[in-house]
Amino acid sequence: MPPEKPEKERSDLLQGTLDMLILKIVALGPVHGYGISLRIRQVSRDVLQVQQGSLYPALHRLEKRGWLLAEWGESDNGREAKFYRLSAKGKKQLSEEEATWRRLSEAIGLVLETAH
Amino acid sequence: MRWLSNLSRRSAKRDPDADLDREVVFHIDALARDYEASGMPPGQARRQARIDFGGREQVTQQLREVHISALAEAVRSNARAAFRFLRKAPGLSAAVILTLALGIGANTAVFSAIDAVILRPLPFPQSDQLMAIQQYDTEGKSPVTFTAPIRLEDWNRLNHTFQALTGYDTEDESETSGPLPEHISNAIVAPRFLQVWGTAPQLGRDFTPAEERFGGPDAVLISNRLWHRRFHADPDAIGKQLHFNDHARTIVGVMPASFRFPDRDVDIFTPGPADAPYAQDRKSTWYSVVGRLKPGVTEQQALADLSTVQHQLGIQFPKTDGDLGVRMVPLKSTIVGDIGSSLWLLYGAVSLLLLIACINIAALLLARTADREREISLRFALGASRRTIVTQLLSEVLLLAVLGAALGIALAAGAVQLFHHFAASLPRAAEIALDWRLLLYTFATALAATLLSGLYPALRSTRRQLAHTLAQSSHSQVSTRGSLQWLLVGAQVAFAVTLLVGAGLLLRSFQELGRVSPGFDVSHVLTLQISGGWGETADMKRLTQRIHTDLDALRSIPGVEAAAAGGWQLPGVSGQAQIELSLLEGEQDNSHKIVAITHVISPGYFHTLSIPLLQGQDCDADDGGPPSVLVNRSFANRYLRQVTPIGSHLRTVVQDTMMPTAIIRGIAADAREDDLNNAPSPTVYPCLSAPTPSPWFLVRTRGNPMALAPTIRAKLHQIEPARSLFAISPLEDRISDSLTENLLRTTVLTFFAGTAISLACLGLYGTLSYLGRMRRREMGLRLAIGATRPQIVATLVAQGLRIVALGCLAGLAMGLAASHLLQGMLYSVTPTDPVTYAAIIFLVVIVAVIASAGPALRAATTDPARVLREE
Repeated sequence: MPPEKPEKERSDLLQGTLDMLILKIVALGPVHGYGISLRIRQVSRDVLQVQQGSLYPALHRLEKRGWLLAEWGESDNGREAKFYRLSAKGKKQLSEEEATWRRLSEAIGLVLETAH
Repeated sequence: MRWLSNLSRRSAKRDPDADLDREVVFHIDALARDYEASGMPPGQARRQARIDFGGREQVTQQLREVHISALAEAVRSNARAAFRFLRKAPGLSAAVILTLALGIGANTAVFSAIDAVILRPLPFPQSDQLMAIQQYDTEGKSPVTFTAPIRLEDWNRLNHTFQALTGYDTEDESETSGPLPEHISNAIVAPRFLQVWGTAPQLGRDFTPAEERFGGPDAVLISNRLWHRRFHADPDAIGKQLHFNDHARTIVGVMPASFRFPDRDVDIFTPGPADAPYAQDRKSTWYSVVGRLKPGVTEQQALADLSTVQHQLGIQFPKTDGDLGVRMVPLKSTIVGDIGSSLWLLYGAVSLLLLIACINIAALLLARTADREREISLRFALGASRRTIVTQLLSEVLLLAVLGAALGIALAAGAVQLFHHFAASLPRAAEIALDWRLLLYTFATALAATLLSGLYPALRSTRRQLAHTLAQSSHSQVSTRGSLQWLLVGAQVAFAVTLLVGAGLLLRSFQELGRVSPGFDVSHVLTLQISGGWGETADMKRLTQRIHTDLDALRSIPGVEAAAAGGWQLPGVSGQAQIELSLLEGEQDNSHKIVAITHVISPGYFHTLSIPLLQGQDCDADDGGPPSVLVNRSFANRYLRQVTPIGSHLRTVVQDTMMPTAIIRGIAADAREDDLNNAPSPTVYPCLSAPTPSPWFLVRTRGNPMALAPTIRAKLHQIEPARSLFAISPLEDRISDSLTENLLRTTVLTFFAGTAISLACLGLYGTLSYLGRMRRREMGLRLAIGATRPQIVATLVAQGLRIVALGCLAGLAMGLAASHLLQGMLYSVTPTDPVTYAAIIFLVVIVAVIASAGPALRAATTDPARVLREE
């Protein structure tokens, strides 16, 4: 197990990014927490080492802000699971965040290139 | 099973904690199953899933925090910001706290009086069921509103809407167990007395039916006050005896301390037997009646019911009951009386004061937020939302308001003590106290004050455009903000002047009242009563003889110039009865009723009060001669123009033993018998020394009246060893007691108005100081290009005065509009009294000049060289 403190710092660092990733995944359709964690691992090809439990506080925060809507429903294997989907507010937030992210990464890319 | 899963879903919703847990468990299970599917042994798969997930408990805890922390976090950070503000701006904070302490404290104090006197129910169970009931003469011929015991019993028996009806009457007696007779106020109570109040004795028991019958055992209930005074709250007092002249009464119970009825001075309660021979006459009226409604019965239904009952009695007993009707009001209104209008007036005034305080603070905060523009802009730039910043700014004010409210409660507690001290004669004054309801009220007031004073500055300083001022110099916006602050100063002045108009009119009215001549000489008159029981009225001749002996004894004391008896009423104290009379001589004119105040007197009354006799002569000693009466000048002028007054005969329209047909013996000058507020009205003075066993005695003394009290006490004890003397006090005190409400209203409103104008001046001073500071550069430049210092001072003072003048005008207009609220409280002053308005304008101009002189002088002493260097 890695020591506590660096772990916490890393998740803080990832906070904004994680939120955006969640919104992006949920935008594809209703999905439960486990499904989201699978997707994150898939798309990031295991680069983003998010401890699976820390996904949930983020989910609930987004739900509380009104960006996600949650509802209990039946999962593939017939068990009760909590499904999340994007609200109208969440859609707007996602597009804003995507735009910001793009601008930021372009700027950083530019800086890195010119620094050569 | 669909309904079952629906049910479980619903129950899950009800318990969010279980919900969190279920979500986590689902995740771990799913993960474990995937590991198993990839070939891991089941035990290891589960373990691995748990490790991957991280601490399960920890996560659920974090989830819980997500749900509660948003609020808690906001509260904590806002509180921290508020305390930081308190530390960083101690001067401003202190000013705000003190202003609010005064505003909220005064408001709480007045509200506590309103709460105790008007809002809170009387201290009896279901007290809204209690009604005060009177009989009255439907022809207006008799002033009697008391009810005969036998009629009370009829009412009680025949009605369908009351649980029970009862009555009471008080008399003054002497208890003779001790070395000196002790004055005892005795409430004679009709049957069902405690049942109607719904109050049980604190100790002992109620009267038994045997004790309520004529000739039954003599039982007495004592008040808590007497229990403490005489028996030091000893429970063994039950069964002890009290002694009255010729008989003893056994104590059967002690009433609770909260039971202060009919008034707080009552010492004992004795049963008035309904079957007593003297209680069978339908014309012997003495009870004040109180009834308790059945649950669900309205006042109107009960009145209709009782009126029907009385109508039937009128048919059955046409001679005695034919002209009688029934009146009814909730008991509370008879106790509270018309003090309500005074209290609401003061409440309006004190709320206006709080409003001024809030405007004052809003101006302070506006000046302050101007200084904080950079801080606020920075926070915007860092991404804080407007709501966050407004919340923080409001939190700062809320902290100050809560601190101010805490201090205000201390002030209010002090004010309540003052109330108890100075307003003890007002109804229910003893019930005024601070309790949790008032704390709640105070807190609500603090919240309102926060929003009133803080919301606008907070919203204004966080307007989006403000973010752009980050780059600007803070000097550029002075002119616009200045105009807003002037508006606030103007509003404060306007509200303060409104209060000043009210206070000024009341003060002028009070001053006029002091100047009016009551028509009698109030000074050097001592009032007192000597105990006597109603039983004595059985032998009127002997009673009259006794009163004359007492009067002779009083007159024989050195230092006493004159003495007389004045019946039930004291001169100059309101509450005199009106009565309809007829004149035997001259033309009978039935269209013009003769109505007059009646004040029964003994010989020597006019001499004792220095009321001049204009014609005829004083009363004879009323010991068997023909009944005689005197009238005042107003009466003679209005009703006796057609006849020779002296020697004519007057008779009450309703035959009354108190005033049979009487011959007019003389005419006295007008005096304000009924309340100094009222101009003298037609009055008759029947010569009757002893209309009651304990009439008021009036004694004119050469020196200080109270100095003679011990001598008088000793002398009367000598001739009346079994009687007690009570209610000894100068007539001046009695009359000023009757003015307590007036005085209290005037004093308190004046205090509020004074505070309001002081606050407004502080506002003016603060605003001018602030603007002076902001315009330092301009002043420096002006000085540099040749303006003189007096010119600068004049400019600034003129600016202040212009606003004050506008505010003053608006305030005078509002005051004039509001002055109709004072109707009925003003004496010989019109709501448009020019003296009041001129005085207010003068006062406001003076204080405005004083308040603006300081800041103006300071601004004018700016050193131009320094200002230019700073550029």
